[in-house]
Order: sequence, then structure tokens, then C-alpha cells
Amino acid sequence: MSSNLTRSEVEDFLFHEAELLDDWRLPEWADLYTEDAVYEITSPSSADPVASDAANSLFLVSDRIDRIRARASRLMKKTAHAEFPRSKTRHMVSNVRITGSNEAGTQIRSNLLVYRTKEDTTSVFMGEVRTTVTREGDALKIHHKRVILDLNSLYNQGRLTIIL
Amino acid sequence: MPLDNPRSAGLVSVNAEKHSFRVNRAAYKSKEVFEEEKRLIFSKCWLYLGHGTELKKKGDFATRRVGGRDLIFIRDRDNEVAAFYNTCTHRGAKICRERGGNARTFACPYHGWVFNSEGKLVSKNTSTGYDEHLNDDGHLDLVRVPRLESYREFYFVNFNPKAISLKDYLAGACDAIDALSDQTEAQQIILTGEHSYTVRANYKLLAENSYDGYHLVSVHATYFDHLRETYAGTPAAHVVDETIRSYNTRGTARGLGMGHAILDSYVPTGRPVAQWLPSLGLGVKAEIEAKYARLVERFGKERADYIAETQKNLVIFPNLVINDIMSTTVRVIEPEAPDMMKVTAWALGPSDESPELRAMRLDNFVSFLGPAGFGSPDDIEMLEICQTAAEHTPIEWSEISKGMNGAEDLRSAHGAPDDEVQMQAYWTQWDLVMRGIETLEV
Repeated sequence: MSSNLTRSEVEDFLFHEAELLDDWRLPEWADLYTEDAVYEITSPSSADPVASDAANSLFLVSDRIDRIRARASRLMKKTAHAEFPRSKTRHMVSNVRITGSNEAGTQIRSNLLVYRTKEDTTSVFMGEVRTTVTREGDALKIHHKRVILDLNSLYNQGRLTIIL
Repeated sequence: MPLDNPRSAGLVSVNAEKHSFRVNRAAYKSKEVFEEEKRLIFSKCWLYLGHGTELKKKGDFATRRVGGRDLIFIRDRDNEVAAFYNTCTHRGAKICRERGGNARTFACPYHGWVFNSEGKLVSKNTSTGYDEHLNDDGHLDLVRVPRLESYREFYFVNFNPKAISLKDYLAGACDAIDALSDQTEAQQIILTGEHSYTVRANYKLLAENSYDGYHLVSVHATYFDHLRETYAGTPAAHVVDETIRSYNTRGTARGLGMGHAILDSYVPTGRPVAQWLPSLGLGVKAEIEAKYARLVERFGKERADYIAETQKNLVIFPNLVINDIMSTTVRVIEPEAPDMMKVTAWALGPSDESPELRAMRLDNFVSFLGPAGFGSPDDIEMLEICQTAAEHTPIEWSEISKGMNGAEDLRSAHGAPDDEVQMQAYWTQWDLVMRGIETLEV
């Protein structure tokens, strides 16, 4: 199992994910996910975003692998109008901690700060990320990623069309 | 017709002979028009406040901004739904700063006046200095909005005491709300979680977009790509392109009176109530088919087909959208400025559906709708580039003529799903209210 991961291995992995996103290498980003992966962003209005479940409450994003790949390939197209011309983004990942490990993989908590600039408007997304990573052969893969934004709404950001 | 309000006169231009319907872009960008809209549209129309099922228990409340007014939407201790202005009657502080919760009383944080859930002033936090009969007439109780009425749990407020009844106002939209509410013999409920976001554009651009069938193929090309990929290898693989080809030959766009309109169309997304497609998986097939069968029993096949299979994009004038499509969303648009709106959207679903179907409904919702879906953000981009161009080019008119026909009252005109008669219905009402011809009063 992956319980023997070190914090620096985990950090390198999360920094690599951030780099792929900022470089808009989105199909490669989607390849970081396992076949049974889930990528989620909870609703900013959620009273309990850690425990909430996309099966019975409305999230901003709740993608299984098919839609993770579809999200990545959609954003590569000019016809993804919301991201054309593409935003510039900068993902800052910090406060990385390994918080546990079980048969599903290694649990990680980290803080996330993302700047997104579209045309001449910059918006900021900030929050906590809970990631479960697992080893597949030599590679680390993401089994579950949940982003919990420190927001009450997207009134300041408008939309959330980049990947966090 | 008399031009009772010269400021708005001439912003909607109709030439019946040429079948031309035009809207002056000042209607999207002018500060003067925006102020007039506050005085007329948002002070005379019934405006959506919330859904009764958001307030489950006595004392449940939500704070909302409606037509620029901050309100408390509450179920009081007698189980009555009420709406108060969110301000202390003493010196004006906002008495409730939470988005929602449950409360038996509201204590003003400034000097400690306390109001109960029926708005009654129960304490002034002092025993001196006030005449004991000062509030005998109740003028220091929380102030209720002039009118609060509901139709099938959709609660609306009206700031004009003389307004016509909600039911008269909703006109033909009642039938559309019935078709939605009748999906279940239990109750349609607002599900947990909401999408709150802004769009840097005039609120009417989103109203127009919400039932625009014409933009579907161009703006949502990537969503149809996604559907094609999802359906690949299933018996539904051919359905996407077949539906796009036949889109404007099935269904209608039609005015419902009073500026409301609906787009009835057919898009192959599958519907929790009640249209099963192979892409939805065998797990929910039996339940969806049983729901359809029950609708046929209750309403006959024709109405059941309408309830079950037709995608309905409804706009209730001026700012409520109820889209019953791959999932059901209730979306309210709050104008903040001529070029800025706040949008709040919820998912609506039957209280008696299985956990599997509920999960599918929510999954369908986020696949397309909301600020991070595969559909809505591309719409938003269109609205924002329309706004920018309205403000920074000298072109005066937008042409909204598609499907314009000889209907005597464009507010009840019918057209094809990719026509623009629904927007003509909206703008006709807008023009009549802004000119003071349609007073919406008894």
C-alpha cells in the first residue's frame, strides 16, 4: 500500500498536478486519475462540505473519470466558449500534510490558492483540498480529490470554468 | 397608444409588416432605464422569493435580496410563511445577518430589540424611557412586504399593495408549474446546496438566454460532443444527431400571457421524470418507466408524455427561470446594476424518488448547469460579450424577429423551438409595464 509515502513525495506529486493545470496540459492532468476516481468541488453554501455527498446535495463539480476526461478535452477546444481565449492560471499548493492511510490510499490535506486571469479580470479561488492518492505500478494516481472553497458564493469570481 | 413614460418609449420597435421585432440596446445598458425598471418592473411585478420546502420546520428562515430589497423568508410558529424587510424598526440595523437557519426570535445586534418569528416586537431591551403604549398600533413590529402569495409552494412577493393576484399574474405559467409539480404525488422539494454566482451583463440577457432554442447547437457544441461520447456504444448513440436534426420540427416556443413564455423541446439527455435512455444505465430503468406508467394512469397519455418527455424552459417575467430539462433548476436573477446580475439556482426534485434517481438527477444537473457545468458557463460568456458590445459599439438595435408572426398579442404568440417568439412575449410585456400601460393592478 502507499502508507510509506513521504511528505516530499506527496508534495512533488501535487506540485506536478498544479504544473499540468497551469500549463493547460489537461489530458495529461486527467491521466493522473484512477479509473474509479472522483473529482469534486462542493457548493460554497454547504453547511458541512467535508461530509456532504454529491448523491444527495448539489455540488459545483462532481466528476467521475468519464467526465474528468471530458472536462479536460472540452477545455482544449475553441468551442468551450467560457475558456476561449484561455485563462491564465497559477495554482499555489501549500500546507501539505499526510493525514492517514488505508486500503483506498494515502489521505492528504493541503491548502490551495488559485489565481485566474481571463481577459483583464483576475479572480481568486482559495480553499482546502482533500486528496486520496494511490500507487499504480510506479506511478501515483489520484483516487479522490475534493476541493472545499473558503467562499460563500461565486459572486466575486463569476464562474468556475478552470480546473482547481 | 399613449406614451405614458417617455423615458422607455421607443426601446421596443415592432414593424408588423416587415415581421421585424427590435430592442434598443439602451434597454441593456442605460442607468436611467435601470432606475425606471426598479420603479416599475421590480415594484409592480410578482417576484420570486423562495420555495416553501426550503422552510421545513417552524422557525426556519432564509435571507434573500429580492428586487433590491433585503427580506427574511420565514415559517413562523403558527406554520405560516411570512416575509419581512430585514431591518430593525428602531434605528435601521439589519436584524439577521445569516443566510439561513432556524430561529424563535431575532435580536437586533445594535440596541437589542427582539422580534419573534411573527415579527412582533417582544423586547426593547430596556425598562425605561418608552411610553408603554408606544407600539399599541404595531408600527414597531417587523414590517411585512405588502403582498406574499404562493402557487404550488412557489412563493412570490409584490411590493405594490394594489397588485393583481399571483394566480392572475402567472396566467398561462400556472399550467407549466402544474406540469412540473404533477411529476410526483408526493412533493417537489428544493434539494440541499445552491449555486450563487454573478454575470457581468444585464439581467434580461440571461432571461432571454434561458429559453433560447436557437443558440443550442452553436453555443453548446461541446456539450453535444460530450453526449455523443457518453452514448457511444449504447443503443442511444444515434439519438444526439437525430434530435439535433429534428429540433425545430418538434415542440414549440410559446407565450403564456403577461410576458411569461415557455420553450417546449426535445433534447436527448434523459429525464428522471420520466424518460429513460440507455446512457442512464439499467439501474434506474425500472423506476423511470414506473414513473411514466403512473403519469399515464393519472393524466392520460398525451399529458403524461408532455410531463415526462418534453424539456421545458420557462421564464416567468421578469426574472424567474424554471428549467425542467435533464434535471430541474429554479433560477432567480437579481439585477445589481445595468451590467451586473446575481444568480441563485437550486435543484428541485420529487421527495419520493430513490437515492439512485436522486443521484442521477444531481449528476445531470452539474453536467450542464451551473457556473462549473459544461453548458451554463458558455451561455454566460455569450451574455458578457453581448453586454460589452452593447456598451462599446454605437450599434443601437438588437434584432429579435425570428418566427415573428401575425399574432395580435405577441405575449401569446407561438413559434418553433428555435424561434424568438418567447423573447418577443417578454419584451412586449416589458414595454407595456415600462410605459405604464400595463399597471398589473386590480
